[in-house]
Amino acid sequence: MSKPTLSRRDALKLGAGTVAALAAVPAPSALASSLGRLGGAKPSQLRILYTTVEADVDAIKLVIPDFKKELGIDLKLDSMPYNALQQKVFAELASSSSYYDIIIVDTPWMPALTHKIQPLTDYVLNKQLSGSLLDLQDFISKVFYDTAVYHPDRSYLHFPSTGTIDPAAIKHAGFDIFGLPIQANALTMSYRKDLFNDSANKAAFKSKFGRPLTVPTTWSEFKQVATFFTRPGQRLFGTTLMAGTGDWATDDFKSLLASWGGDGHLVNDKFQPAFNSAAGVAALTYYADLINTSKVTPPGVTSFSWDEAASTFDAGLTAMSMNYHTEALNSNVKGTLDYAMVPHGVSAGPHFGTWMLSVNPYSKNREWAYQGIVWLTSRTAQSKMLQTQLHPTRHSVYKEALSSPVTSKFGSFYKVLEASLSVGVGRPRLRNYADVDQAVWVAVNNAARGSATPKAALASAASKVTSLLHQAGYK
Amino acid sequence: MAVLRDTLGRWRARPAPGLVLLSPVLAILALMTIGPAFFIFARSVFNTDLMNPGSGRFVGLTNYANVVTNPDVWHDLGNTLLFVCAAVALELCFGLLLAILLSQKLLESNLVAGLLILPMAMTPAVSALIWRELLDPNFGWVSYYLQAWHVTADPIAWLSNTNTSWIALVGLNVWQWTPFVALILLAGLQGIPLEPKEAAAVDGANAWQAFLHITLPMLRPFIAIALLLRVIDAFKTFDAIQILTGGGPGTSTEVINLMIYRVALQDFNVGAASALGVCFLLVLAFVVQQLIRILSRSTDVLED
Repeated sequence: MSKPTLSRRDALKLGAGTVAALAAVPAPSALASSLGRLGGAKPSQLRILYTTVEADVDAIKLVIPDFKKELGIDLKLDSMPYNALQQKVFAELASSSSYYDIIIVDTPWMPALTHKIQPLTDYVLNKQLSGSLLDLQDFISKVFYDTAVYHPDRSYLHFPSTGTIDPAAIKHAGFDIFGLPIQANALTMSYRKDLFNDSANKAAFKSKFGRPLTVPTTWSEFKQVATFFTRPGQRLFGTTLMAGTGDWATDDFKSLLASWGGDGHLVNDKFQPAFNSAAGVAALTYYADLINTSKVTPPGVTSFSWDEAASTFDAGLTAMSMNYHTEALNSNVKGTLDYAMVPHGVSAGPHFGTWMLSVNPYSKNREWAYQGIVWLTSRTAQSKMLQTQLHPTRHSVYKEALSSPVTSKFGSFYKVLEASLSVGVGRPRLRNYADVDQAVWVAVNNAARGSATPKAALASAASKVTSLLHQAGYK
Repeated sequence: MAVLRDTLGRWRARPAPGLVLLSPVLAILALMTIGPAFFIFARSVFNTDLMNPGSGRFVGLTNYANVVTNPDVWHDLGNTLLFVCAAVALELCFGLLLAILLSQKLLESNLVAGLLILPMAMTPAVSALIWRELLDPNFGWVSYYLQAWHVTADPIAWLSNTNTSWIALVGLNVWQWTPFVALILLAGLQGIPLEPKEAAAVDGANAWQAFLHITLPMLRPFIAIALLLRVIDAFKTFDAIQILTGGGPGTSTEVINLMIYRVALQDFNVGAASALGVCFLLVLAFVVQQLIRILSRSTDVLED
């Protein structure tokens, strides 16, 4: 993704914004005392294992000097792309290695890791250790519960989110906090603002559909608008989808499933597939129709991942797209863009998945590592990380993003992201989610290609998921 | 004591036994290959899950029963065999043609032979990424030129269709490994003496007859070696398939290695993955053994 250069005007705005941001957060000298006090020798270095772009490694790199300044500890960063990271994290934990102190964890991994990650509830409850910087209530509660709170022995359970984050209640219910959320990704919609504002388009749309051209908020409006913008002769299509074989297809489908009133978690509490329902069939039928009947997607959409979806939208081939990050139109595309929430149906539940920072239980510096993640996920650090497009996990940082010159170039993105997170639906908590995920994405891909009817594809996937859950001991 | 002294004396007088000389190699082999193989055999009868402290229970042949009764395994095994047969057959045909062309001792032969090594030198993952870009229906060169030259009216979504995905997958493997086959066969062609061909020409044989009855039989040992090496390597293909099609569309190009990867390195279910690996090893050993048996009938290169 290309990054636009800053003009002098932007630089001045940025400077003013930074001053404003610094004024709004505790001063550095106060920050150190906002952390709790620890006994024992302070390590000279903490090692952190992190991902690459998936959770914005630039954000961590940006605050490493501040980390040293505030905590007096060097932060040594190792980062690697998703698949390699997952294997590294699991290998480190399986071999009880003490090398890393802090480890980033993606939510689908956690059901298998509840006995391999340091529980932090006692640390959180220890005010002397946590200090005021933790400010637990500032985290988006839905994100916090979905990302960090698990039952150690029954890792498939979700803690009933109450809106407030109560560590004592979490502990009382037998759950534990296993980390602090650092990056929150949710499915959002991007659209070509210039095309929507074009007077000729507005007039043509009004004359064709008898209503003003607006950014779609429902799926029926979405199909109508996508159809309107589909002009293959001009190399313009309505929307991208992520219907290729991969996790992205499952995520597309579960977002639609939730919109149609189904359970976006895909598997219910009784370990039964929850997607092979009337809502599921209707959602997948709509999805497949966009591709095969309405033909509002560009060629090859049934092999698209989030990468192809982004590059196609950025190249100006579609009027709308859905993805997990900000977009940047290529320099040869003369247009502007903005963001909106993914349309809803009878309900809403855009897919979301979040990363958290956790403490390695084999680390020799666990308490210091805990203080490290408290600082890295603090309002101060996340505010600064906005410069590299971190997707924050704290309400206060979203509030700040609304008026920050650093984020103004992303239009409504942060506003939309926060709203999407508050209604988003995460993944089911299963140790063998990779297999379940594959069964669902194969069904979505088969239906999207027209090689199976939505009903038959979902029935086949449900049968396979039932068998997979049974084999994994979920009964 | 006298008996012991005699024995030691004889042992000192004899040259070092072969086993002693081989011991460093055997030690490395045991450490790097035999040991892990035994570990995989052992793990395949346990329900080992690296992250689950309660796992590691002896389950007998349950993992194997799950493998054998899983229709996806048979589907993926069928895809694996299809991939190996299609790719290796084409590589042998094209490799032979290429080797014959290169053996003509033209001025350009050395240059072409040098260029041929380039695809082989490329990491399969990088090749797959490049092919993925080339085949992109919206921005790829392949679709662009097919339309520009009026071969197709619309862009082809290569990776969205089962047949075209297979063409892409096999095409990538053939593009990358045909030069390897060609180089082996070229070495064979250059070793064939001229006398039999000259004698055949004197007897009135044409070029095709000379190729069929002299060149090809004398090339058999080299074809056998190329075939064996390519079959074994094609069975092991993982990265190119994972990156180019990811097993899709649907599961139409999913091979057994992709399944083993998912079970072992995404689910971390070591027991199930080990059972899958052992079954795959047995299939591969059977196929290679049969190949050697068939090939050794017509050539003595693979005997002993």
